Amino acid sequence: MSAILRKMVHELPGALITLLLVGFIVLPIAGVFLWAFAEVWRYPSILPTQWGFRFWGMMLGRADVWEAFRTSLLLSVIVTGLSAIICLPAAYAFARLEFPGKSLLLLSFLTIQAFPKFGLYIAIATIFFSLGLVGTFTGVVVVQLVNTLLLMIWIPVGAFQNVDIRLEEAARDVGAGPIRTFVSVTLPQAGPAIAAALLLTFVGTFYETEGAFLIGAPNIRTMPVLMISLINNQIVVQYGAVLSVLLWVPSFIALLFARKILNARTIAGGVGA
Amino acid sequence: MTSLSAPLGRQKRARRFPVGLLLVAAPVILVVALVIYPILSSLSTTLNVDVAGAGRFSLANYARFFSDDQSLRNLRFTAWFTTTTVALLFLVCLPLALYLRFSFGRLPAFVQAIATFPLFVPGIIVAYALIRFIGPNGTLQSLLDAAGLHGYRTPYLTTWGPVIGLLWEGIPLTLLVLVSGLSQVPQAAIDAARDVGAGPLRILVFIILPLIRNSIIVALSLEFLRIFGAFTQPYLLGPASPESMGVYMQRTFGDLQDPVQAATQAMITFLCCSVAGVIYVRTIIANRRAGR
Repeated sequence: MSAILRKMVHELPGALITLLLVGFIVLPIAGVFLWAFAEVWRYPSILPTQWGFRFWGMMLGRADVWEAFRTSLLLSVIVTGLSAIICLPAAYAFARLEFPGKSLLLLSFLTIQAFPKFGLYIAIATIFFSLGLVGTFTGVVVVQLVNTLLLMIWIPVGAFQNVDIRLEEAARDVGAGPIRTFVSVTLPQAGPAIAAALLLTFVGTFYETEGAFLIGAPNIRTMPVLMISLINNQIVVQYGAVLSVLLWVPSFIALLFARKILNARTIAGGVGA
Repeated sequence: MTSLSAPLGRQKRARRFPVGLLLVAAPVILVVALVIYPILSSLSTTLNVDVAGAGRFSLANYARFFSDDQSLRNLRFTAWFTTTTVALLFLVCLPLALYLRFSFGRLPAFVQAIATFPLFVPGIIVAYALIRFIGPNGTLQSLLDAAGLHGYRTPYLTTWGPVIGLLWEGIPLTLLVLVSGLSQVPQAAIDAARDVGAGPLRILVFIILPLIRNSIIVALSLEFLRIFGAFTQPYLLGPASPESMGVYMQRTFGDLQDPVQAATQAMITFLCCSVAGVIYVRTIIANRRAGR
């Protein structure tokens, strides 16, 4: 009897924590899913009273949804590609080469984190304003780089540093050139973490709201910006829910895969902790 | 380091021609162009007034901000919800992190999975989900009613709205940084303290907290910066007045078409966050020197 009691007391904190977390974190998101498939759900019933796909058809028939989807997709592809071209060679250099001012330059990327993001966007926006970049696609692309730079430098630097240097030296000893060594030895080892960084960049850009909202308005509408207007004009609750589910499920699946690579260390390391 | 194990010939070549510097040039130039230059430019713009076609140093823009009631109210509100949310994050995440560090089995793994889940939910969807959940006639109210608890007052569109949204978003990163810090606390130190009769509270205060000091500082200063400049959650969950500095800046820039005053607000935001920013960067430099 007392053994059972002791076990219960021992497991009580865990159970309590789980319950509170599920209530605070999972329930609101679960509600979005219910709303997406609810045709009728009136207060105070706990669950929808009529289920269906009616709002999915209405949502998928809207031209602005598809337009925003195209804009977001194109934006994410361009920003991810640009970030990779700009950052990956630099990350390799930071991890492997010696040059003057190296650690200072690496730390300079942290200055991006050291300012409140929206204030930084405003400072950039005032310059874009005089350059005529506010309300243009180019402007939105450039402002996204503020977010992606740190991520695309910091995670790949760690990845390249973790590559076993003896394997590279072995490859060179048997006559492989520097490019061959990089492609067949270095890249496969650093690959998973770099893939995770690319994925995070893509998804992060796809969902970035504040820079796109500030710089893109009123001409460029990405999916999150469209979502803001749906929330503000709240005519039909289900529109927002359907859009959320539609938007979020693919990225969630992708990120579940990334989780294998992205352990707590990598994420904490991403902010320099 | 690398150069020690490299053959002498290669090392010499690298010294003659710093390829590395060339490779890192592009992102460094971007940081200058997108962070340092805009900030310096905004600073100089806001510190100048146009007098007969010529710029002259003046604090007029700042004086205008600090003599305006609405501006001050917004600044105070932002400072309030920032400190409140950061404090709540610490109070929620420290016990969670301790639980994850000192227990084993499936339940902690499940708890960690749920607690890091918000990392994979975009802020805009969080805001929408919370509106449906905590909003008037939302799921929470229905659940409370079903449990016989009436008289629910929604925090949606009140000053607590942003706190809830920002707390939701902030849990994973704070938790992961704390867990990463706790994983470096040696079990031997805890066992030794326990052997001499220290209770859990004493172990926490005198052994664990000093050892994870840097992790706590990094997590809290980062969250301070993130929350002080927040836009999406205060914009969608908060009251129309007072506004967060993020919302205020956006409205000044976008709706009022006053870039100079918006830049002034941004500079004041930076000033309020400068301590947190400096602490963050310094702690990370110290961590790296310590040879993490």
